[in-house]
Amino acid sequence: MLEIKNLHVKLDGESREILKGLTLSVKPGEVHAIMGPNGSGKSTLSYVLSGREGYEVTDGSVTFKGEDLLAMEPDKRAAAGVFLAFQYPIEIPGVATMQFLKVALNAQRKARGQKDISAPDFMRHVKEKAARLNIGQDMLKRPVNVGFSGGEKKRAEILQMAVLEPTLCVLDETDSGLDIDALRVVADGVNALRSPDRAMIVITHYQRLLDYIVPDKVHVLSDGKIVKTGGKELALELEANGYADFAVKAA
Amino acid sequence: MNMVSPKTAAEEALGVSLPHRRMEEWKWTDLRRLITTPYGKAEAKASVREVDRLIAAAPLAGVKAGRIVFVNGELDAARSNVPSRPSNALIVSPDDSVVEISNRLQAQGITLTLDGNTDTPIEILHITTDATPRAIAVRHTFEVTAGASATIVETFLGEGDYLSTAVVNIAIGEGARFDRIKVEAESAKATHLAHTIVTLGKNAVLRDFTITSGAALNRQNGTYTFAGQGADAKVSGSYLLQAEQHADTRLVIDHAVPHCTSRELFKVVMDGHSRGIFQGKVIVRPNAQKTDGKQSSHALLLSETAEFDAKPELEIYADDVVCGHGATSGDLDHDHLFYLMSRGIPKAEARSLLVAAFVGEAIETVDHEGIREALLAFAQERLSS
Repeated sequence: MLEIKNLHVKLDGESREILKGLTLSVKPGEVHAIMGPNGSGKSTLSYVLSGREGYEVTDGSVTFKGEDLLAMEPDKRAAAGVFLAFQYPIEIPGVATMQFLKVALNAQRKARGQKDISAPDFMRHVKEKAARLNIGQDMLKRPVNVGFSGGEKKRAEILQMAVLEPTLCVLDETDSGLDIDALRVVADGVNALRSPDRAMIVITHYQRLLDYIVPDKVHVLSDGKIVKTGGKELALELEANGYADFAVKAA
Repeated sequence: MNMVSPKTAAEEALGVSLPHRRMEEWKWTDLRRLITTPYGKAEAKASVREVDRLIAAAPLAGVKAGRIVFVNGELDAARSNVPSRPSNALIVSPDDSVVEISNRLQAQGITLTLDGNTDTPIEILHITTDATPRAIAVRHTFEVTAGASATIVETFLGEGDYLSTAVVNIAIGEGARFDRIKVEAESAKATHLAHTIVTLGKNAVLRDFTITSGAALNRQNGTYTFAGQGADAKVSGSYLLQAEQHADTRLVIDHAVPHCTSRELFKVVMDGHSRGIFQGKVIVRPNAQKTDGKQSSHALLLSETAEFDAKPELEIYADDVVCGHGATSGDLDHDHLFYLMSRGIPKAEARSLLVAAFVGEAIETVDHEGIREALLAFAQERLSS
């Protein structure tokens, strides 16, 4: 589904590389965890996959379902099935959450050659997904993320994911700033979306999230490269020993 | 002493001296330089068909309302369904250039005494048809009696090249509530000059919203005076400007008595080479303690060549007051745009969603749901054209 080969990325206008030859292959149905210390390139990877401006790919390729993902605008990537749950979701004053979800869903449907969803079907679709994440009508009426608590923002991201039904979910430090109860709700929401057709990349600093979202594979990202790949037990090993071993090797 | 300049052709035609940039209040809007067409009074024949077409095209045509229709500056009784009296009182105060032009043009209009409590708005629709360039002047008086509540919409739209002036005098009685909505959707060649004079009685409430979108040149003055304690005025507006449009609003909020609240909120969207100005003066008189006055203007510049100027002025002579002002201008937020696009919304759609949300904040101050929605739709349409 996703093939990242020898990806080199730097910030526009800077010479220092952040990703230095990252290679990763993700198949449908798989959940991959990417763990690494601060500054290892985790967030850069998520932004490059979603098409944020400000990054320059100097080498390598990213193909998604056989297409060159890097050549697509962010909206085309979303319509193709890529979704990034932001570490810091953006507040959009003046745009109601419900309206935003509807415009986004219909834009993606249009890009895929489908008709607009009917108003009653949309309402049913959103209400069902929102209930699982403890999101009430009140939150849906409010402008996107405006005045939401940290936990509400993360739940709202997962709601968007559930409503838009992407095929590749990239979760960027979704656990940051969540207490244990909020973490459970978010993890349940994510687990409900696991399916044989859908892949996930869970980016995290800490092993804790992986107790709830159990990955098929764990990769250690250090200094812009994946330096070790293993099963879910690798996360526990990291929790016990920290990233020091990898940082030394990378240096 | 300024040298006396020879009168321009436009000044000759209007019979007045036009304000110019050496006058502080007019420094951004030099009418002597900007008005080049010699607009005089002239008869214009309008066909039934073109008037009907313009009425149907009015931004609030779909809103259920009583209607009073002016065609080329004259009341069209046959098309109006709300009774009114001719406005006879000549407005002399404040001493202002727009008022002077209006008086010189012998502006005609109506007086409405609003003494009921109705949810049904009255729309005064001012239509100007395409004919020889000319000056059109209306002058209205609204009296909202004690305890009454009313909603009035003033809409201006037209075709062709003309100068349109509108002077409106509003007295809001004790405990009364007045909702005023003004829609400036004049012709793209037109000049629109207005002065609105409002007096608020004790515990009166005013909600005043103006959308400025059509004219090539627009100057709107407003003088709002708190004459009774406990009154509350919210004066807001949006500009939707493109190409070479120029719009300048100058408001004076006069807190003459204690315990009154004023809020000004202007949201300005500008594209092309347009020029937007907001000048807001708040006066707090020496005895006007416990005044609460806030003002803010925000501009969204969609092009590198659009320019916005804001001039807040606070003149405070009382010591126990809360007053403040803020002004910002900038481009669309790239993070906002990326976030919307990352959810599959194409760039153009994401932009218009964000621009509509920006002006929406001012439009949301309109209480009447039907009018508010029609204004939001009108703004969206203007912004995507």
